Amino acid sequence: MTAPNAVKPTGGRLHYGLRLSLFLRSLSLQASWNQQRMQNLGLLTTVLPWLRRQPREITADRLFCRRYYEFFNTNPYLANFLIGGLIRLEDDRNSGQLVPPGQIAMFRDTLGRAFASLGDQLVWLALRPALTLALCLAALLGGIYSVLATVACFALGQLALRWFALGKGYAMGLEIVELLSLPHWHRIIGTLKRVGMVLAGAVLAAIPFLHLDSGPHAGDGRQMLGFGLGLLVGSGLPRLVRKRLPGEGLLLVAVAISVGLTFAI
Amino acid sequence: MVIYGLVLAGDPSWSSIALLGFLAALLAMDDTALAQTWFGQPLVAGILAGLFCGDAVTGVAIALPLQLLLIGNLPVGQTFTGEHSSAVVAAVGATVLAGHHLLPISGPLNWNSAALLGWMILATGLLGAVGHWIIQAERRAHVLWMQEGHRTLRDGDLNRVEALHGRCLSATLLRGFVLGILYLLVLIRFWLPMFNVLPEPALQALGVLPFLIAGLGLGALIEQYGIRACWSWVTGGAVCGALLLWLAGGAG
Repeated sequence: MTAPNAVKPTGGRLHYGLRLSLFLRSLSLQASWNQQRMQNLGLLTTVLPWLRRQPREITADRLFCRRYYEFFNTNPYLANFLIGGLIRLEDDRNSGQLVPPGQIAMFRDTLGRAFASLGDQLVWLALRPALTLALCLAALLGGIYSVLATVACFALGQLALRWFALGKGYAMGLEIVELLSLPHWHRIIGTLKRVGMVLAGAVLAAIPFLHLDSGPHAGDGRQMLGFGLGLLVGSGLPRLVRKRLPGEGLLLVAVAISVGLTFAI
Repeated sequence: MVIYGLVLAGDPSWSSIALLGFLAALLAMDDTALAQTWFGQPLVAGILAGLFCGDAVTGVAIALPLQLLLIGNLPVGQTFTGEHSSAVVAAVGATVLAGHHLLPISGPLNWNSAALLGWMILATGLLGAVGHWIIQAERRAHVLWMQEGHRTLRDGDLNRVEALHGRCLSATLLRGFVLGILYLLVLIRFWLPMFNVLPEPALQALGVLPFLIAGLGLGALIEQYGIRACWSWVTGGAVCGALLLWLAGGAG
C-alpha cells in the first residue's frame, strides 16, 4: 500500500517539497538542545516530514521515532549532509534495498561525531574568529553597514550550504564518508586560521593607532597601558591558571586589573 | 543629534522598551535556537540595537570591546557560556533611551565618556553572565520536555514531538523578550543613575576598562591560536595594518 503523497527517490534526488520541509526544520536543529541527549528532539522533528509522507503504520512510526530519539549531536552548519544521508537510507530501506539493522543508527552516530569534530575546527575555531575579527576591524574603521553586509553574506552563504548539503547528503548516502576524508578541509581550516591571525594583528594595531590619531585626551597613556596589559595578561593567563577562561571570567579579571591599575598609578 | 531609528532617543516609553524587547527576542533565537546566522553576535546585535534607536555609533562603542572579549567563547552545546544578545540590546537601548551618546574606543573618547562606556560594558558582561544561568535553567526544562517526548515512542503520536520542539523554540523567544525588557528596566532605572554617584577612583578604573577588555580578548585569542604558531602572522598583520592606516591617514 502506498500513501497518495508518498515520495520516491528519483534518481538520487530529493523531492523538492520534502527537501524544503527538511531544510526549514533543520534550521531549528539546536532549538531543543538538552544535556541528556543533546539534539535528539531537533533531529526527530527535522526528519518527521519524511515519515509523514509514508504510509502510516503505528509500529513503523514508533520504530522510526525510536531510531531518531537517541543521543545525537553534531555541528548545525554541516548537519544537513548527515540528515540527507539518513533520509536516503530510509528511502533505500523503504524501496526494498538491504539496509542491515543498526546501520542507520551507526551511520548517524559515527558521522554525527565526525561532522561535529570537523565543524568545531572549521566553523567555531577557524571561521568564526576570522570573520568576527574582520567585523571588528570594519567597525573600528567606521564601516557599520559593511559589518551588516558581511554578516548578511555569511547568513546567506550558510543557508545555501545547508540547502546544498541536504541534496548532496541524499545523493551520496553512505558515501558521505568520502567527503570527510577530503584533504581540502584541513587546508581551508589552516588558511582561515592564518587569516584570523593576520586580522588579529591588524585589530591590535588599529585600536591604539586610531585612538591616538583622534587627538590627545586626558588618560590616553593609562588607557594604552591598560590595552597592552590586557594583551599580556590575556595571552599569559591560561598558562598560569592552566585553563582557558570564558569571556565572563576575563571580564572579572579586567575589573580586578583596572582597579589595581587605578590605585597603582 | 538627528534620530532616524524606530525608537526615539531619550524616550524610554513602554512602546520603545517593547520594540527593543522584540529585537532582543529575535536575536536570542538566532543566537542558539534558529538558523544561527550570527546576527545575534554582540557586535552585530549592538549595531542593530543602535540602528533601532537611531544611534549605531553607541551600539558599536558598547559592543566592540565585548565582542573582542567574547571572541574565544564557543557558542556550542555544553561549552556555551553567557547570553549576550539580550544584554547588548538592552545596554545599547538603555544608553540611547537615557539620552547618552558614546564613542567607540577608536574615536576621540574623553575620560568621562570612557568611564560611562566602561560602566555600560560592565553591565552588559554581568547581565550576560546572569543570562547564562537562565539558559541553563531553560536547558533543564528541555530535558523534561524531551523526556515527555518518550511517550511518542510508545503511542506513535508525532504531533506531540513537534509540539514539544515548538515549545522549546517559544521558550527561547520568550526568554529573549522578557530578559531584554527586564535588563532595559534595570539599566534605565538603577544602573545608569548609579553612574552619577560613583566615586572618583571607580571612574578612573572604568575609564581603562574598555581598552583593557579589548586587549584581554585579543590576547586570549592569540593564546588560543598558539603564540609560537601565530606570532609571525600577528606581527605581520599588525605591521601591515599600521602601515595601511598611516598611509590612509596621510592620504586623508
